[in-house]
Amino acid sequence: MCLCKRRGSMYGLIRTRVFTRDNDMNADRRKFIKQTGWTLLGSGILVSVGSFFPAAGRAMQKGSSHELYGFIVNTHRCIGCGKCVQACKTENHVPEEFFRTWVERYIITADDTVYVDSPHGAVHGFKDTEVKGNIEKSFFVPKLCNHCTEANCVQVCPVGATYTTKEGVVLVDEKHCVGCGYCVQACPYGARYIHPERRTADKCTWCYHRVKKGLMPACVVVCPVEARLFGSLKDPESRVARILREERIGVLKPETGNSPKTFYVGLDKEVR
Amino acid sequence: MGHFNHIIRLCVVLIAVVIGFFIVRGFFVPKSFGTYGSYQYGYHRGDSDAEQENMYALYQGTEKCAKCHEKLIKDSRAGGHAAVACEACHGFWQAHNKNTKDTVPRDTTVESCMSCHEKVTGRPDFLPQINSFAQHMKDQEEAFEPDLKCIDCHNPHVPL
Repeated sequence: MCLCKRRGSMYGLIRTRVFTRDNDMNADRRKFIKQTGWTLLGSGILVSVGSFFPAAGRAMQKGSSHELYGFIVNTHRCIGCGKCVQACKTENHVPEEFFRTWVERYIITADDTVYVDSPHGAVHGFKDTEVKGNIEKSFFVPKLCNHCTEANCVQVCPVGATYTTKEGVVLVDEKHCVGCGYCVQACPYGARYIHPERRTADKCTWCYHRVKKGLMPACVVVCPVEARLFGSLKDPESRVARILREERIGVLKPETGNSPKTFYVGLDKEVR
Repeated sequence: MGHFNHIIRLCVVLIAVVIGFFIVRGFFVPKSFGTYGSYQYGYHRGDSDAEQENMYALYQGTEKCAKCHEKLIKDSRAGGHAAVACEACHGFWQAHNKNTKDTVPRDTTVESCMSCHEKVTGRPDFLPQINSFAQHMKDQEEAFEPDLKCIDCHNPHVPL
């Protein structure tokens, strides 16, 4: 080491190193391997311990004292009148060209062709179809934000503007949203849009401002045939919980793994 | 070890930048920002919950109408429109808060009834549907007059 002081340069240091004994080199190498080995072992232990904890979304439901909401859409009953779409637009001041909820009509003919239409979101209902010929089955499917337990939109938000409340409702903090649109892209159901005036993301909130006051969401209130139901998933005697136990239930796009909390009764395989 | 000075200076600058960043961040990040529930799904500005809760509700539900119109609603429970909310046809309750009869929309046109009862492909069988008003009059063997409306024969609150 005295050599480097005399030389006063990095070069001197390197030169010094080259002429050290082989033992030092081996000692360094041994130390390096030991350090790497311990680091790998330590991180391996941490990772395997961490994997025992439940997934973040499910942790929300277990042991929390808050309400947990769910929504049921009964496609056997929907008549496609569009009152739900109108009520939502009025209640939540939804802009003209976007929808927080909408209704789709599926017409399946005998030759397995599927016709899907949703004229302006069905805000004025449906007109009779131009599909002639052998219609095997046709039905209406109302759609809205699924308020997924492990929502894609919440995961991708870069600023933490969209989030899941303790009751399981996915909301958008419009004061914090920067309007990047990543969540709109991420939602597999197309339930989100960018508000044209506020330039922030917007979507169905299950009328959070209503349900916290003990009211039903606007679309549930006006549905004349009770095709939409809302209630507590925690209370076993609530209508929603009973239907989940008794009827045959499906969800849209279960392969995405986001565990939606909007359940469908009578979901056909042709519904995407 | 003098010739490590340039690295030490760089580290000091880096640490100063990081500390400065955290100071500035303390001013810009809203105070209520935090992890409510899980970090992955619950990280948000805490005040947003109360803001969303306190929004104004326009529709009030049938129970609110029942406070003044109890008899009408009780009678309607016997008919086919028992499950139909008042606000489905009459619009949201908040339009009525001036306590005048005129502010509640009463759409008595045929189109209003047809929005649910017209025969459209896709509608399930439990719903009574008609092809058209004229066709319905013919089926009922009644005379068709142009001014006739559904409510001339059917009470909208207690239909058949």
